[in-house]
Amino acid sequence: MSYKYVGKPTPRKEDPKLLTGRAGYIGDVVVPGMLHAAVLRSPHAHARIRSIDASAARALPGVVCVLTGAEALEHIGPMAAFCAEPVPQTAIATEKVRYPGEAVAVVAATDRYIAEDARALIEVDYEVLEPVVDPIAAMGPDAARVHDTLDSNVVFHRSLDFGDVEGDFARSATVVRRSGRWHRMCATPLETAGALASWDPYTGAMTVWSNSNFYNFLPWVFAGILGVPTNRLRLIPCTVGGSFGSKHLIMQVVAIAGALAKATGRPVRYLEDRFDNIAANDNTGPDRHYDAELAFSPEGEMLSLTLKIIDDYGAYFQFAHGQHGNAMAQPTGPYRIGSLRYDVACVLTNKVQQGFFRGAGADPGNFILERLVDAAAEELGIDGAELRRRNFIQPDEFPYKIPTGNVYDSGNYAAVLDRALEIADLKHWKAEQERLRAEGRYLGIGLASCQERTGYNASEWWFLYDNPPLPATSTPESVKLQVDAMGGVLVELGCPLWGNSPETVVSQVIAEEFGIDPAGVAVTYADSTTGAMSAGPGGSRLTIMLSGAARGAARTIRDKMTRIAAHAMEMSPDDVECVDGTFRAKGAPGTSMTMGEVAMRAHLFAHDNPAGESSGLVDTHTYDHPYATPPNADRTDMGAFYPMVSHACHIPIVEVDPETGRVTLLKYYAVNDCGTIMNPPLVEGQIMGGIVQGIGAALMEQYDYRDDGTLGTPSLREYLIPTLNEVPDIVVEHVQTPSPFTEYGVKGAGEGGRLVAPTAIASAVSDALRPLGVFIDELPMTPERIVTAVQAAR
Amino acid sequence: MKPAPFAYLAPRSVDEALAHLAEHGSEARPLAGGQSLVRLMNTRLATPSVLIDINRIGELAAISRENGAVRIGAVARQRACETSPDVRDGVPVFAEAVRQVAHPSVRRRGTAVGSVAFADPSAELPAALLAADGEVVARSSRGERTIAADDFFTGPFTSALAPDELAVALRIPVTAAERTGSAFVEESRRHGELPMCGVAAVVTLDGDGAVAQARIALCGVHRRPIRARDAEAALQSEHPDDELLQAAGALAASAADPVGDCHGSAAFRRHLAAVLTRRALATAISRAEERNA
Amino acid sequence: MPDKIRIAVTVNGTAHDVLVEPRTLLLDFLRDQLALTGAHAGCEQGACGACTVLVDGEPTRACLMFAAQLDGAEVTTVESLAGPDGTLHPVQRAFTENHGLQCGFCTPGMLLAACALLEHNPHPEPSDVREALSGNLCRCTGYQNIVRSVVAAGAEV
Repeated sequence: MSYKYVGKPTPRKEDPKLLTGRAGYIGDVVVPGMLHAAVLRSPHAHARIRSIDASAARALPGVVCVLTGAEALEHIGPMAAFCAEPVPQTAIATEKVRYPGEAVAVVAATDRYIAEDARALIEVDYEVLEPVVDPIAAMGPDAARVHDTLDSNVVFHRSLDFGDVEGDFARSATVVRRSGRWHRMCATPLETAGALASWDPYTGAMTVWSNSNFYNFLPWVFAGILGVPTNRLRLIPCTVGGSFGSKHLIMQVVAIAGALAKATGRPVRYLEDRFDNIAANDNTGPDRHYDAELAFSPEGEMLSLTLKIIDDYGAYFQFAHGQHGNAMAQPTGPYRIGSLRYDVACVLTNKVQQGFFRGAGADPGNFILERLVDAAAEELGIDGAELRRRNFIQPDEFPYKIPTGNVYDSGNYAAVLDRALEIADLKHWKAEQERLRAEGRYLGIGLASCQERTGYNASEWWFLYDNPPLPATSTPESVKLQVDAMGGVLVELGCPLWGNSPETVVSQVIAEEFGIDPAGVAVTYADSTTGAMSAGPGGSRLTIMLSGAARGAARTIRDKMTRIAAHAMEMSPDDVECVDGTFRAKGAPGTSMTMGEVAMRAHLFAHDNPAGESSGLVDTHTYDHPYATPPNADRTDMGAFYPMVSHACHIPIVEVDPETGRVTLLKYYAVNDCGTIMNPPLVEGQIMGGIVQGIGAALMEQYDYRDDGTLGTPSLREYLIPTLNEVPDIVVEHVQTPSPFTEYGVKGAGEGGRLVAPTAIASAVSDALRPLGVFIDELPMTPERIVTAVQAAR
Repeated sequence: MKPAPFAYLAPRSVDEALAHLAEHGSEARPLAGGQSLVRLMNTRLATPSVLIDINRIGELAAISRENGAVRIGAVARQRACETSPDVRDGVPVFAEAVRQVAHPSVRRRGTAVGSVAFADPSAELPAALLAADGEVVARSSRGERTIAADDFFTGPFTSALAPDELAVALRIPVTAAERTGSAFVEESRRHGELPMCGVAAVVTLDGDGAVAQARIALCGVHRRPIRARDAEAALQSEHPDDELLQAAGALAASAADPVGDCHGSAAFRRHLAAVLTRRALATAISRAEERNA
Repeated sequence: MPDKIRIAVTVNGTAHDVLVEPRTLLLDFLRDQLALTGAHAGCEQGACGACTVLVDGEPTRACLMFAAQLDGAEVTTVESLAGPDGTLHPVQRAFTENHGLQCGFCTPGMLLAACALLEHNPHPEPSDVREALSGNLCRCTGYQNIVRSVVAAGAEV
């Protein structure tokens, strides 16, 4: 299928405002009379709050209001939770603090400097309690309890068998066993979360600017917390300086701004600073201990996989086990594994909570599986690429249903692998490896073949429950398209701008449908009062969903314009087509009308148009998930919930210094298949950005909680993300196996780089240190971990 | 995060600055590059009530070489030290250390004297100063004195400067040209970060190729930068071979008493001390041998 | 309350004669008092470079400098690059043509650091670009296109 605009490197529409300092981030929003908030946070991991004395703070000139957690509850409600278990949470702690950095009091003052002066004057009397830091110890019966509402810190545990696990293991010839450790990381967008709330006590209406998502998906959740009628809340999106999943539903930040706005009667802006964000954001990534087994037939076929997982969820369970629902989209990877046991225990500790971070739980899933495959290759004496190839799902087997019930729509994994091996210059690198080994140096070549599930359905959040509190099944996206009386095209998006390219994508789609220049399409962003249901970016869904929504709206408008044009030209609508922005007789281009001519007629000339056509040209199209099926009652089949599955093969080249533990990336090869590519440079940008976040996960990103529960990584000097010096030359190529379920056959690409790079780099470091007997099973591979592993292997 | 309130003074001469320091003592801090101090002030870990901005005192920006020593003024930027022929040729270990401090953009504002006076036990320049046998020139309204590097660093972020003293310059004796080589080697978690361990080594060989003198200093492995004196003594008069350098590394490691943190535990830093001391010495010695023509 | 400090500072070619509190960071002076919101607060620790502006032509972390220090200085922010009619500066054009930005939060700092580099080194090699921008973090792009953009800007000039 060849397109005129879809698939082209259309210039990015989002750029001009971002390049010129006119982006409109939440920190740029100024409302007259607004106050600025600062948050006092607990220095302790676990403590009872005996008393709070804010009198000196309140007396400071410029301070308008100080709220404790209890005082805030006069204005706002507790946090919404998507979990079934009783794990209550408030934006500001009330009786107890449960993680270091939990909010204890908030200040609103005339500027941020004064707010922080006041914050320093608040005195809190804590009764320090024993911190729960080790999740394994936390599972024990005598462990201190993070929540008194629960019988145990194991807030959730479920083990599910899909297929005949016992039988497959019984008939296996080899079982490869490995444990794996994936540490807690966080999105660390360069822009932190923020909200500006303005409340009108006379009407009970509230306006909130923020960089949150979900304002057109779950606005009523915000309304409930803010104590505002759902039809009197207006959530206005700002340009977002990066999210990577962490700004889906920034409840704490919005609640704090809202509480202070109601308490003061003035607009209040709360912007997290970096310390706030690292210590207390809603969305850290998984923190997992894996024990895994992969069973093989005598011929080296993968038969069955068991995963026993302990996941340290931190102090709250706000998004429940969503990062496991997500992982279950692809736990068996690209392989024909027939059965799976997924045994997960979610444990609460005194740490910041988990939420969603790019990869959303499937990243450690890819990690453990590919480590098992590498280990199997060694144990079975089969080359890693060959072992993978032997077990890949074949192109003629799609759509392919995996043991959990999810479906993979299409793919050609061998083609991706083969291309990666071709471009990776392996002859050269293997020779280098030999040469350097002779010099006592260690070069490694990694390999990983991984799935990148795209386009989630909401069921992944709840299907691990038998009786979920909110078994939602809608995950739509909406777009409003208008053609004005002069033929000008305006699109209003229901989603925010996260650093992806929604404006460019919808412009390309609309351009394709009308044959007009994408540059001529104007794009705006709806707020929660003007937008229709839109789950927004996340789960690599947006290109898929915007393609559907924009194409749907474009077709509706185009069909109406076709009918009106046909009527005007005295033809049948079947004989009229829209080409290059003109409505003309098929095959007889002489008779035609411009977009503007048709539009003017549509807007103002009702009597000249076909009976039954309303005046105007506007359509809001809500596109629902194109292929989702529900889980069955006993959860032996979770249904298809993430069926558009992209795939990639990554081959990193590293050198490792076993004496210092330093890892240097020399080169990086990636072949990616995300179906039809909407815009090649934009897809590559997502892949490269994801790969570099993956470098962070592989080598340096980790939350460090000390034995006393305090946070050892409070700023960007401790929680390290890659600089450009850690990034090698990255070569990206593409294979395109279109999706049968989506418009244009597109699949998502946003999370791919980060879903694959960590395990690929682990593979490379492992390969480098193979002569020393080291096998990597823990991320990040810090210098100390590598040196320790080298010493232990001696 | 925003700093606590303070009064701001911008003296135009050293005497004016010293008068302010005499008046305010430990309530005041001098501001040069600000790359360390303002960072601390933003988190309110430092809350001086008076900030004395010395950036307008032109004479303090000078870098010069005279009387067998390189003199680096208090406002001389790290970037200027990097590119200065006086520093590069006169005190190569210091130049090599400066190149590894943070990032170029930070080095354009940060000062060498400021980094030394800040006395971060993980920082490169204090260790380089120790290895180069340098000294700090301190002035107050009471007069001027020089403080040897060996005496300057008294603890984490603390120095021998009195509250009313301003470090106006570093004086570093020019490293001998013949048969002397130096090296600064570090390991950090990521480019531009403070090192988990850094080693500065300056080695002079005698006519036979044996070690006439070695000075070894380490950062990141103690509460202040340290000299590895036992390692230095073990090298004295010996012909350096792999075994000797290993032994020197082990001795340097035993002089270390690191504080562990999220970047590296105490044990790991001690391990790095051994490895990097060996490597720094190997490089310094091979450079010394190159100059033995 | 400590005395305010009077500063005569030129920002993007416009002279200002104002009083500032000693502790007002240059970053906040630009954003709050002059409404130049292109410089961004990413960390307020000097670790990320999102606040980078040019002070007397040098890339400077605006979160580590006080406005009070600016008397007699010239400050350049991203807002000075594009023309009032919307014409992009060559460096901005290079960034959009080479997809050197995604969310845009680090971009003003990158642009100004690039401008300062190109002033001294009009045709930089990738390694020169990496050195000049090594103190600027980006979490979106993976950096490769940023380096390409700056090299391309040099090639154009």
